[in-house]
Formats: sequence, C-alpha cells, structure tokens
Amino acid sequence: MMSRLSLFLVVSVLGSQWGFSQEAPVKIDLEDPNLVFVPDSVIPIPLEIFASLDKMGAQDWGRQIESRDFRVDTNRSRTAMLFGLVISEGFIGVQAEDKESVRRLGRDVLALAQPLGVSSEVEVHANAIINGAGRGEWENVRQELDKTRQTVINKMKENRDEQLVALVSLGGWLGGTEALASVLRDNYSAEGSDLLNQPDLIKQLKSDFNGLPKRARRGDLFTQVSQTLEHLESLMRSDDSGAISEGKVIEISLATRNLVEAIYES
Amino acid sequence: MRVRLSALLLAFGIICASAQEEQLPALDNPHNYMKVLAQKAALPTLQGDEKFILRESWWSGNMEPGKAKLIQVQLFRRNSYQFWLAMPSRDAEPLINVYDSEGNLVPSESFDFEGKNIVSTMVQPEITGVYYIRVSLKTTIENPQDWAVIYAYR
Repeated sequence: MMSRLSLFLVVSVLGSQWGFSQEAPVKIDLEDPNLVFVPDSVIPIPLEIFASLDKMGAQDWGRQIESRDFRVDTNRSRTAMLFGLVISEGFIGVQAEDKESVRRLGRDVLALAQPLGVSSEVEVHANAIINGAGRGEWENVRQELDKTRQTVINKMKENRDEQLVALVSLGGWLGGTEALASVLRDNYSAEGSDLLNQPDLIKQLKSDFNGLPKRARRGDLFTQVSQTLEHLESLMRSDDSGAISEGKVIEISLATRNLVEAIYES
Repeated sequence: MRVRLSALLLAFGIICASAQEEQLPALDNPHNYMKVLAQKAALPTLQGDEKFILRESWWSGNMEPGKAKLIQVQLFRRNSYQFWLAMPSRDAEPLINVYDSEGNLVPSESFDFEGKNIVSTMVQPEITGVYYIRVSLKTTIENPQDWAVIYAYR
C-alpha cells in the first residue's frame, strides 16, 4: 500500500533549507505603484488565532460558548453577518469540543442558508458537522466548518452576491474576535494580547464594508457596524512594546460583544 | 494516463474526507488543476502528529514571465504557516517568499519538489500582523503561467 501510495504521490520533497532564497529581493517597496496585489482577501478563521493562543497554555474555550437565539428576517445583509457569526461559534465549539453547541450550529447553518440562497450547497456540510460532532470527530468538523464558509462564499460570488460575501467574512471575524478578546480579558497577558494587533485587517474589513452598496448597509444595525469598526481600528493596534493594554482588551471585548448581540437581537 | 488520473483523484480524496459526497472541482479549469497539484505537494505536511491544517481559502491567477504578484495575509505569532505555489510548466521555476509589513523578506524554510513547477515556503512570524506573499515567475520562460497558492497553519 505504501509503495502504491508513493507511486501515486508523484510530488516528493527534494530538499529544504532555512534562510533567504537567493533569487528573492531582500526588501520590496510596498508603495511601488507597479506592484500588483491579488485582490481576493482571506480572513483568518478563529481556530487559526486560537491555535496561537493555546500554545501559551490551555484556555477555557467552553466559557465562550453562548446559546443565542435569532430570528431570521428579510434583511439578507444581517442574515449574512449572522451566518458568519454562527460559523465562528462553531469554531469555538470545536475548540471547546462541545458536542451540543456544534450540533446546534449545524442546524442554525441550515436555517440561515435558505434565505441566503445557498441551502443545497450547505446541506451536505451541515449534516457532516452535526454527525461529526455527535461522534466527536473534531478534525472533520473543523474541516467541514471551513468548507461551509468557503462553499457559501464561492456560491455567493457565483450568484453575484459579492456584498454578502463581505458580510459573511465580517461576521466570522467579529465572532472570533469577540471570543478572543473575552478569553484575553479573563486571563490577560501582554504576550497573548498581540493577537488582537490587526490594524491592517480592520482597515481592509472597513474598506470592504464601506464599499458595499448603501442599500446593503441601511439601518441602525449597520450604522453600529460602521461605528464599531471605526472604534476597533483605534483599539486593535499594539503599542511600542508589541502589546495591547488590558484596558484596550476590555474595550475590544465590550465593543465586539455589543455588536454581536445587536446582530442577533435586531 | 490512468495512473496520473488515479493519483490526482486519490490525492484529492485524502484531502477532502467527504469527497464522495461533494462535487469535485472541475479539473479542466486550470486554476483548480493548479490547486490540486499544490494540494498533492502539501499532503505529507497535512498528516501525522505535527501536521499543518489546510485552509479552504486559496488564491489563483495568471502571471506574465518575469512578473510578480503580492497576496496580503494576516499571520499570528507562535503559529507556523506554510504556503505552496503551483504552476503548469516544469520550466516555470516559480518563487514564493514572504515579506513583513515593512517589505522586509522574512526568514523562511523553502522546499522544492520534483518537476520544479511547485515550490513551498514555511515561516514562523515573529510578530502578529499583515504579511505579503510574493509569487513570481522567472523571466526566461516563454508563456504566461496559471498559478494557485494554498496555505496551511499549525
């Protein structure tokens, strides 16, 4: 079997080395107008951030799980943000290995997929999440969550619902940031606080949000989104020591929590 | 030819545990094909005790000889990240490097693969923040190349 697999895996590593590649420039001018940037932005998933925090010691992720109810209305922009939030809660459930919360999330994902027009694409993943959580297969559930997020984004792009893509990403980032800030607030360390140093990422999220058509961000909820992003941009920036102060972490935690609750309750 | 197709499908099947239930990517799309090539190269890194976790997000495009493109990513301290770049031509000799938010080349561990059309780099960011993945193509190749970049973390 091994030799067959080796035959199949025609790509094999020839070698590796640490250091700098000789052909690559040692420095690039990021202001160079001739630079070509790839437009597609990738927002980190919560587990990517949690993985870093867990390297500093085990965290109590179970405390971050909250059973929040929501009502689906005709506002697809809010539904898209809710979708991102629910996925991020799934990642928290996976980190905490909490079967019930992840199974609930699988059902929530299905409920939100329908008004977003992505039911058929999501169904197989949602079922895999529910079944995987029931069996405690956390690696599979993690993979299915990321696939769900990506599948929905791909389908929305195909449907020319780009504004919804930005809102799903924003919701996912918000949910992960709320959990991260909450963990850091309860157990502050200067070293861990650097994970909230995301000024360029917020700038990008803000730009994506402000670039949405006005009809997609009309209403009090979206005014709050805009104000919160503005506020977070000033908070989520490390000081000269590379840390974010405990006071700022508390503010980040409160601001993200208020917005998450507003999205659920509006 | 059958062996190559089997290899492709097997590799993709390992990566996507539930591939049987899903639509496989259209491999006639050159970007999807490049992605699968990169995934095949990544496979050994995605298994075992010290495995990396592959993200579903990826990037693709087309590149002129001698040109470079930059991909912006947010990376987190204490994590390791590995990126794979694949192009179709075995003469492409692509390059992939990571730069910090000041434009400085980040120390990395680089890997190359049989065929010379797939390369990979691993970095351990010293600070949390925005980084730039620079993908480039040597100047002497004749044709523009499709490309795909995937990444994983641990």
